[in-house]
Amino acid sequence: MSRERNGIGSVVVGCSILILLTALWGCSRKQDPQALKKLPQGAEFAGFLSDYKQLKPNPNFENTLSYVNRDDVKNLHKYIAVIVEPVAIYVATNADPSKMPDRGRTALVTYFQNAVIRTMSDAFPVVSEPGPLVLRLRTALIGVDVGDAIDSGANASPEMLARSVDIGKVGVEMEMVDSVTGEQIAAVVDRQSLGAGAVIGSVSFSHDEKYAAANEALDGWAERLRDFLDLAAELSQQERQRADESYQPFTKLQPQ
Amino acid sequence: MRKILIAIPAFLWQGLWGQEASTFRAYVDTDLCARLMLGPITPGRIECSQKTAKDRSELVLVRLRNNMVFSVNKSKMIAPLVGQLAEVTGDIKVKAGRMKLQDVRPIEGSAIPTGDPDRRLLGTGRSNESNPKTWEKIRHELAMMPYVSEFDFISFTLSGSEVILTGWTVRQTNRDEAYHRVKDIEGVETVINNIDILPLGSFDMQIRAGARAALQRVLSRYFWGSGSDIKIVVKNGQIILLGTVTRKADSDLAFIQCNGVANAFKVFNLLQVQSSPKKSAQTSGFGTSGRRPS
Repeated sequence: MSRERNGIGSVVVGCSILILLTALWGCSRKQDPQALKKLPQGAEFAGFLSDYKQLKPNPNFENTLSYVNRDDVKNLHKYIAVIVEPVAIYVATNADPSKMPDRGRTALVTYFQNAVIRTMSDAFPVVSEPGPLVLRLRTALIGVDVGDAIDSGANASPEMLARSVDIGKVGVEMEMVDSVTGEQIAAVVDRQSLGAGAVIGSVSFSHDEKYAAANEALDGWAERLRDFLDLAAELSQQERQRADESYQPFTKLQPQ
Repeated sequence: MRKILIAIPAFLWQGLWGQEASTFRAYVDTDLCARLMLGPITPGRIECSQKTAKDRSELVLVRLRNNMVFSVNKSKMIAPLVGQLAEVTGDIKVKAGRMKLQDVRPIEGSAIPTGDPDRRLLGTGRSNESNPKTWEKIRHELAMMPYVSEFDFISFTLSGSEVILTGWTVRQTNRDEAYHRVKDIEGVETVINNIDILPLGSFDMQIRAGARAALQRVLSRYFWGSGSDIKIVVKNGQIILLGTVTRKADSDLAFIQCNGVANAFKVFNLLQVQSSPKKSAQTSGFGTSGRRPS
């Protein structure tokens, strides 16, 4: 009996050690810098969108290519919610991915994702489950670069990065796809330069006046994405007429 | 010091909830009747409240002073008073239209003094005060809202210079935009916004998708690229069909189709039947047509 107990105990201890080792390996594992996606040399696009063929210059937005599906069955009006995927980052062609600070990249992704959700969620509420009425929002920041080493000197704080993240030449690629079929419903490649001189040197850059340019640029791109969606959702002349003929409030207090 | 320690958490909690403690007189109604039967509390409205309460439409309070609708956290407290007046006390969140109930006390209409603003919902015959041009401008502005889909229904009432916006929407932007569009119209002075934001839980989303697919399959002519004549409001498993169709048979067909949608436990058919797609201003409501939720 006691031998049996000892056997079970050994198995439990063995399993615990294995789990602990696995956890430690997982925690200590450094992200492979090569896993960072890189803007291909000389390429027009990053390769992030599922389809670039239908993009055309958008007359309402400078330096922007876009596509909106106008199909009667599959268009923006047929969806009422969105799943927001984590923002992807493509580093600049000449950047050394091994020098890209992980914490800076995470701070950048988190801030931009929150900015996108903040500007869009009143029109496309965020949900977590896919379905026929749900779009999947995919966004990428393209051309993020490695900045200079930061000499924090005596004022060093744990939030400071060893090296800054340069978003001075960043552009944005975004698409909304059907969350069930993956079909592209709207897409935009925004190359408008909003981030001239913008760098991120701290994990909490959004609270630091020194990095205000980065906040403004990221907020600016998020707002442009929302403006693009608002314009894409505008009713055509024919749709306006139909909506006007159709709409009648349900009320009995109406003028005689 | 001790008082400060007690006051700080209380202050923080109040800030978090964004509430104001309040006592007011209210009509105990259902979500369905409160958002569709604006105006005086007539016998028809009371009948609507009682019938839809039996059909498990959510219970709400309508503040007598300004027709504002509040959902409540403890509907059991007001369930015995459906179709009656009550004095209610609790913490309200005006913008969200919610109330945390503390106390409910039934009252008689006769107990409200003459001339008290709370009597305004108890009177009748206020329907001729509105300017038809203002009414049409409001209607047109609301019709042009780009993010209104087949899952939103926004209605309004105009009484003098006061507009009450009501209905249901899945998007916050529709609630806000309706308010901003209407408040800027000449002749409008006050806007009460009773538009309810619908939950997007997975069951309701499945019901919406199922209902739209079922209706589009057999009644596709009422749907177009950016909208539809038939509105499918889904809230907590219930479907409310609104809008217009041209034949009674289509209304019945829509009702049958929605009854077959998985997870939907109740369908209220409030579709209006009109022969022409361009409607006159003389549409019917519960009170005038005698139409009742099916």
